[in-house]
Amino acid sequence: MRPLVSFRNVSCRLSGKDVLRGMSLDVEAGETLVLLGRSGSGKTTALKLVNALLQPSAGEVRVEGMPTAAWDAIRLRRRIGYVIQEAGLFPHFTVEQNVGLVPRLEGWPAEKIRDRVHALLEQVGLPPAQFAARYPRELSGGQRQRVGVARALAADPPLLLFDEPFGAVDPVTRVELQRQFLALRREIGKTAIFVTHDVREALLVATRIALLHDGRLAVLATPAEFLRAQGEEVRAFLACLDTQVTGC
Amino acid sequence: MTPELALEIVELTVEHLLLVGVSMAIAIAVAVPTGILLTRRTQLQKWMIGFANVMQTVPSLALFGFLIPIPLLGGIGKQTAIVALVLYALLPILRNTLAGILGVDRAVRESAIAMGMTGRQLLWEVELPLAARMILAGVRVATVTTIGTATIAAAIGGGGLGVFIFRGLASVDTTQILAGAVPAAFIALLADGGLGWAEKKLSPV
Repeated sequence: MRPLVSFRNVSCRLSGKDVLRGMSLDVEAGETLVLLGRSGSGKTTALKLVNALLQPSAGEVRVEGMPTAAWDAIRLRRRIGYVIQEAGLFPHFTVEQNVGLVPRLEGWPAEKIRDRVHALLEQVGLPPAQFAARYPRELSGGQRQRVGVARALAADPPLLLFDEPFGAVDPVTRVELQRQFLALRREIGKTAIFVTHDVREALLVATRIALLHDGRLAVLATPAEFLRAQGEEVRAFLACLDTQVTGC
Repeated sequence: MTPELALEIVELTVEHLLLVGVSMAIAIAVAVPTGILLTRRTQLQKWMIGFANVMQTVPSLALFGFLIPIPLLGGIGKQTAIVALVLYALLPILRNTLAGILGVDRAVRESAIAMGMTGRQLLWEVELPLAARMILAGVRVATVTTIGTATIAAAIGGGGLGVFIFRGLASVDTTQILAGAVPAAFIALLADGGLGWAEKKLSPV
């Protein structure tokens, strides 16, 4: 089967700095590929190349077989759900309006949008009767992040992008959100690319882990393989696991 | 107060409101779109803000005077007064439009783009609603200032409540000065209160 997303020898130069250098990588339909790396390793840049927020300076990124440069950016983005840290919800929209945004932009009838939004809010554990009319400022960080996930799922996109989605919430909420992410994935089985710098989170949610180091793909492995993988950067990340157990 | 004076106060107040109303309408129509445009043209920003800043620093009486000899824009009368008032009102509105839109949270803007909003949708559905309060605050400052500055319009034949003030100054007649100053102050307070109320009502953020 054709990969849903394919990086072909992609480089990206941003304000004079080579952020990505010759990265090649296929993302198969149905998998959760985690881009793991330190700050500045190029993982967020790689993610933004997929929905054409950035364009590669060399090579190409293909989505559904077509280079992102050839896609109409608006059409492409409406087929890709996007969840970022702090959710990026619209503060002047209610929860219902936030979640229903892409369906509305796509011209769905109001009735259908409402049903879809309410079903999604149920799915992410926010009963619509209680939450639909609230504004983002009336929610906790974890609740906002759930709304962000519901919003990304709204128009049923075949691909989801997560940019450190659970980075800004407390550790307890974080674990809850991760569990919910796994449950949601079992239910709907979408393809996802997930950026994180937390190796624990990577091992938990990934079907495959792509470790980026200095703009290059250092390791590409399943979580089980990753634990046994060699190389300095992998060791550095796996050492975090030990530190977290023994260090505190 | 004689009935003649009362009548004249009403007449000149209406004229004053007209001067301010027309000037503000033009200033808003120019400054808001320019502000929006400037958020997309970073290099132009400092030039335009610089121009508006300089306009603000020219003493108002002098600005009215400078405009008189300029063809088309200038001369004696209302038109020149309106040009001067517009130039004064531009800066607060321009600056707040710019600050309001640039102040929209980066994460919010990025997710709007990433969700497939077009440039127009981004502007009308996200940037303008979130900047509305800030823009209105600029309009409020500009309006209140314009109501005061418009009294100087009388010096170049622009009419309005300034007519009383200049007449009173020339004849050392306090009643005349007050007949101009009190209604002007009153209008300014009303405008400030009304626009301040609108600002609070606007957008739940």
